[in-house]
Amino acid sequence: MAQEAHGAIYDLLAVRGVSRRDFLKYCSYVAAMLGLSEAAAPQIAAAVEKGAKLKPALWINGGSCTGCTESMAQVDSPDVATVVLEILSINAFETIMAAAGHDAEKNIADTVAAGGYLLIYEGSVMTGEDGNTLLVNGHKGTDILEEVAAGADAILAVGACAVDGGWVYAHPNPAKAIGVQSFLDTVNIKTPVVNLPCCPTSPEWIVAMVVQWLLVAEDDPATFLAKTKLRTRTYRDTVTGRDVTLNYPEYVIGSTIHDNCPRRGHFENGHFVTEFGSEEEAKGYCLYKVGCKGPQTFTQCPITRWNRSVSWCVQSGAPCIGCGGLNWVDNNTPFFKRLSSMQMGDTLGNVQPGSVAAVVGGVAAAALVAHGLGMKAAGRIGPDGPPVETAKAYDRKRMAKKGGDK
Amino acid sequence: MAGSAHYREAHPLVFVITHWINLICMIMLAFSGFYIHYPFFDGFMGVARGMHFVAMYVILINLTFRIIAAFFVKTAVDLGSREVDTDIKNWLPQEKNRHQFFETVKYYLFLRKEAVISAKYGSLQKIAYLATVPLTYLMAYTGFAIYGPTMNWGFFAGGVDMVGGPMNMRIIHYFMMWVFIVFTMIHAYLANVYNFSPSKIIFAWKETEH
Ligand code: SF4
Ligand code: SF4
Repeated sequence: MAQEAHGAIYDLLAVRGVSRRDFLKYCSYVAAMLGLSEAAAPQIAAAVEKGAKLKPALWINGGSCTGCTESMAQVDSPDVATVVLEILSINAFETIMAAAGHDAEKNIADTVAAGGYLLIYEGSVMTGEDGNTLLVNGHKGTDILEEVAAGADAILAVGACAVDGGWVYAHPNPAKAIGVQSFLDTVNIKTPVVNLPCCPTSPEWIVAMVVQWLLVAEDDPATFLAKTKLRTRTYRDTVTGRDVTLNYPEYVIGSTIHDNCPRRGHFENGHFVTEFGSEEEAKGYCLYKVGCKGPQTFTQCPITRWNRSVSWCVQSGAPCIGCGGLNWVDNNTPFFKRLSSMQMGDTLGNVQPGSVAAVVGGVAAAALVAHGLGMKAAGRIGPDGPPVETAKAYDRKRMAKKGGDK
Repeated sequence: MAGSAHYREAHPLVFVITHWINLICMIMLAFSGFYIHYPFFDGFMGVARGMHFVAMYVILINLTFRIIAAFFVKTAVDLGSREVDTDIKNWLPQEKNRHQFFETVKYYLFLRKEAVISAKYGSLQKIAYLATVPLTYLMAYTGFAIYGPTMNWGFFAGGVDMVGGPMNMRIIHYFMMWVFIVFTMIHAYLANVYNFSPSKIIFAWKETEH
């Protein structure tokens, strides 16, 4: 991590080959993500500049593949985003920091003791076997999270795993992985959490939220949630059995991928890829028929894009697999089918809704044909129809009881 | 039913029209719905979606109108009768339907010989016809919950969260269409099992004596 005094940000940027102009441009881009006007760019630049080395942060990994770190790190070609993160005083970043062992733990403990830091948490919270499914140097992952979460000013839960357990949460979830918010609910820690979806999450979204935190932390970190444009979603955590309400930046989950997709024109025109490797695919047609989950996924991928906004899933030719949604693996597999399969237990396995519907429709049609033949065989279908009772069965029975005659 | 006459009083012209609108909308909705679910030929998505939304609004207006009209329009009180009363009375369960539900089921399962006494509609019919009302509105709800312009409204987004996400809502919407398809199959079958007089009156407004 860079160790320059704050204020030297432009030098730092210059070393990285980023001009002041690039930086301000980036700041206005961040402003847009935060729902602010472009006029807020200088304010953001100032906050970033001032925040440098003043605001400590911890990046803690839970049950994760460190893919979000990968997405973030991009060490071989740093850009504005990495510089902005570097100027944060990240006191612990397990995957990429130089410190290890005792030193690393001391960094964390010192930061927690000092308080007033931002916690960036990557990965699921593995609660299985009483928390023993994730041990770091003999400490349970759940204990570590409790400790660092309680003292934090705010938490960014980055990546699908931190949001609701991500793919680790997918059926059958033997590690009993859950999301950060869900876990904090069970241990009654009220530190505000902002969730950043996707597997991995987008570095730009992290930067936007870090900047937002720097902006508000100056006056009062407690207003972080109130001052951030949020949208909430609620889900039932099947591990804890509780309803969990998640805060997301509105910018990130405000509309579907489908609504911002550059292939949407092909969709409306009815131009679809039916097979990979086909002429249609070469023409860049819509990927709906090969399982694109864009219509069901509420993230801003087509706008923010990935890898320094070079491209994103659909642009690069792959259907969206819906990693920005909740319980995203169970809800979106098979990835190349239009609808997800329903998990029908061990005997039936995973069944496509279309197959179930076809069976139901077929059985109903067959039953009606059989019934019609039965009606005919029973002689009910003639010019006069079947004989009709003269009194209701109920009345006849009651009369019989009353009158005593059989 | 065979044996009874089918008079215009059973289905006044306004209900013949609402029934036609229902049928046309249902066919359009199911067809375009299937297409949106999986586009089985090229070049039709925009039309299919437009068709789906137009038919959806029309059927909702039609249903609401049909319910209100039930309180004002008079229909025949019984099969083969010209005597009329306010339609809603003939639509809701009546004295004549009491204690007849299981008997009706038994009749259709061939567990009894004689057909049962019923009002204009039998117990099963009334349950089915009444159930289509909340079912249609529920169907519309699941549709609005995955419909771009409305999916972010709290009223719909809350429902999406409740069922575990937009994919599940889509699957529910899809299955509910099958509920309507199966309903329509059974409805068309039972209505016409004895003869086609019911169809003649409801579609062509043509009276028959049996
Ligand atoms: S590729 Fe996916 S997101 Fe894009 S228009 Fe087609 S279905 Fe929608
Ligand atoms: S486009 Fe879909 S699969 Fe790709 S990152 Fe976004 S949500 Fe995930």
